[in-house]
Amino acid sequence: MELTDADLVARVLADDDQHAFGELVRQHQSSVRGLLRQLTRTDLALADDLAQEAFLRAYKNIRNFRGEARFSTWLYRIAYNCFREDARRRKELVGVDEAQMQAEQDPQTVDPGLRHDLMHALSLLPLHERSAIVLCCQNGLSHDEAARVLDIPLGTVKTNVLRGREKLKRTLAAWGPN
Amino acid sequence: MIDDETLDRQLREAVPYINDHGFTARVIARLPGARREPQWLRAMIVVGLALLGAGMAYFLSGGGSLVRQGVVQMADFPIWLLLVFAFGCGLVVGAFAVIVAIRKTPEVRDLTRLDF
Repeated sequence: MELTDADLVARVLADDDQHAFGELVRQHQSSVRGLLRQLTRTDLALADDLAQEAFLRAYKNIRNFRGEARFSTWLYRIAYNCFREDARRRKELVGVDEAQMQAEQDPQTVDPGLRHDLMHALSLLPLHERSAIVLCCQNGLSHDEAARVLDIPLGTVKTNVLRGREKLKRTLAAWGPN
Repeated sequence: MIDDETLDRQLREAVPYINDHGFTARVIARLPGARREPQWLRAMIVVGLALLGAGMAYFLSGGGSLVRQGVVQMADFPIWLLLVFAFGCGLVVGAFAVIVAIRKTPEVRDLTRLDF
């Protein structure tokens, strides 16, 4: 019998059951790490460090999870906050801004497939559009859930998704039907 | 230009499953210790409550007269009835111990979720 997220959270709350929390980590590690890899532009080591931090915060604050949203949505919000804090810290320390980070990307990489081109195009989107696309189009969150994760108005999420998709389509125009 | 349907499909399929490769173990290793009372304190509480209950029962029963009467009555029972009673008590205590053991042992408790 597969235990639901709610069952596992209840066990963590009742008994401080670290085994149950481990099960939650096992079930959600892929999506949380995937989200952070997209946000950090495929910096795998940084993404995994942030994912660890996000799960530790989730454990320490699990009493604040009231079950109003899905557990995964709550986790994404923590992960996104970890990413934002880290980005702010890095920006303050090194003075790297979004445009510079974009310029540091390897633009010469020749990707043979549509998917590789798509991932490259996605990594070139501004953070607010990339976050919205990754949450809504890749992780299956509704616009409402994404708005909660990103802590921005619902209308802004819809606009960011729409603009991001248009940019992706323009970048990938060569793959369209002739 | 690429159509919406293709873009959606490609976006969904572009998310590979990331293998755990020890990630969960690393997170668990960094969790703060469980917030529990020390074992000796839990044992002291259980023993203390048991002694208190026994003492109250002794005084409330008129210095143990009820117990004496019970033992005298049991002495008159046929031996087979005493054996059945002892066996039943053993079964109840054993079942209780098994339930507690299962609840306290994650590997056994989660047997139903193992994939073979």
